[in-house]
Amino acid sequence: MRIGRRNRLGLIVLYVVALAALVITASPYVYMLAQSLAPWDEVQDTFIPSSFTLRSYVWLYTGGEFGLARPWMRGLLNSFIVTAADSIGQVAFGAIVGYALSVLAFHGQRAVNSFILFQMFYPSIILLVPTFLVIQGLGLYNSYLGMVLPYVLSVWAVFMYSNFFGTIPHELVEAARLDGAGELTIIARVMIPMSLSITTVIFLFLFMQRWVELMWDLIIVSDPEMRTLNVLLATMFGPYGSYPGPLYAASVLLSFPILILFLIFSNRFVSGVEFVIK
Amino acid sequence: MSVARGKPVHGWLLTSPYIVHTIAFFILPALWSLALIVSRWNLISPQRDFVGIGNLREAITSPRVWNALLVSYRFLAIIVPTVMIGSLILALITNALPYGKSLFAVGYFLPYLSSGVAVSVVVRGLIGFSSPINVFLRRTTGSSPNWLGDPTLATIVISGMIVWKLAGCYALIFLAGLQGIPRQVYEAAQIDGASSWRQLWSITLPMLYPSMYTVLILAVGIMFAIFTEPYTLTAGGPQGATQTWQLEIYYQAFERFRAGYGSTVALLNAVTTFLSILIIRRIMEAIGSRWGYEVT
Repeated sequence: MRIGRRNRLGLIVLYVVALAALVITASPYVYMLAQSLAPWDEVQDTFIPSSFTLRSYVWLYTGGEFGLARPWMRGLLNSFIVTAADSIGQVAFGAIVGYALSVLAFHGQRAVNSFILFQMFYPSIILLVPTFLVIQGLGLYNSYLGMVLPYVLSVWAVFMYSNFFGTIPHELVEAARLDGAGELTIIARVMIPMSLSITTVIFLFLFMQRWVELMWDLIIVSDPEMRTLNVLLATMFGPYGSYPGPLYAASVLLSFPILILFLIFSNRFVSGVEFVIK
Repeated sequence: MSVARGKPVHGWLLTSPYIVHTIAFFILPALWSLALIVSRWNLISPQRDFVGIGNLREAITSPRVWNALLVSYRFLAIIVPTVMIGSLILALITNALPYGKSLFAVGYFLPYLSSGVAVSVVVRGLIGFSSPINVFLRRTTGSSPNWLGDPTLATIVISGMIVWKLAGCYALIFLAGLQGIPRQVYEAAQIDGASSWRQLWSITLPMLYPSMYTVLILAVGIMFAIFTEPYTLTAGGPQGATQTWQLEIYYQAFERFRAGYGSTVALLNAVTTFLSILIIRRIMEAIGSRWGYEVT
């Protein structure tokens, strides 16, 4: 029985270590939430405040202190508009183009496929200034479209879908086509339902990436009303250093929607992530 | 041609969003960047001067560019080993748990979802003068450090934020690798009397080689693309200790409006990233061939 007891002890140690690691990964979020609810004279001075108040959130909601109506709420709305438009576009275009490149056959397909690989490895930083100039040239500086368009199609999503759709049996497509379904119907009714877990992973990764994008949204927008919440928080970080409570509340508004979205889909995420990693 | 392959015209039609997007946001900017690199232009004025290799010459002799290079290698030296070992340990722990594997894996992944800006708010609070950490340090050691005023400490703080963010994500990659190792290999080793320590060094780590390769390349790539954390927290300081490539590109192109010079620095950033990844790939391939992997 000695071995059995040793194993059990080892298991307990293992879970203690695993939990300790979980505390490290989760504690900044807990700290953020606690500080956002703390009375203003206690913010940052304690880990756990003596009482809780919504004052920071109320301040954020009404706070028109720099001449704008509800800038923080507007920022949150801007973040949702830009992120939703881009991540939906990325998934839709990813599926459509990925379908064309893996299921259909046409002349020039291989050239497109190799060009996509080239693009995936091309350093995007070189494109930063000229992409800014393209958007400026289109007259889209300081607009939602200016934030959305460069990201609305992701070659990574195209690549992922085109790999995954290649593993779906052709008979399904053939059967749907014999039933008179068009290409878009096949994508929406056959391909997407067959690839829900990878769609979840692609959507979550791209949503998350877009939601926390800083540099592009910073340079393409000058009007304070057009700033995303991430940009707004970054620009208010210095000037509002003496109002830490609202900054924590804004951090919660920035972090928790994505955490909740992720936790809702986490089951499907775990099963889909393996394909993406490979 | 089978029914499933569809009409060729549909293929092009469905590919057209990609083609339009690539022309507008890849090919056009890529060509434009070539023109920018050889010109001096402030983004607005109609006047553009051709300067040939002037931008390149200025960038190569600029102490700020050399500093950015140094900063990226310093972050690489601190962050990459830490995040590799950290994520590997997280994956080994998670994999050994009989219950709740995916629960812990998901929990460790949460930092990856964070915005560097929100984390900066948290970190500034945690290391602020009146924070419990500094109060404790003053009580026990008599003084608390000026975390962001000291070049070494500021580098460590930002490194810590990035390790925290990435470790759980890379742990998922290692976890997938661990689950790909066949049980029988361990069973055979146990029959031969190999200790668990020996199994870790002789089976687990060599068989994780493909995952290590992936994680290493991903992590190294990120070291040349750090922006958010120093932008919000240190603005590149103190004394340029956290002045990364991206901050320098942003500063030159969008604060000093030097479109041509900023693009040139971006080009140098891309070249150093590419060369560094190439060198690390060579090193990894040398290690891999010793472990019996043929890398193509």
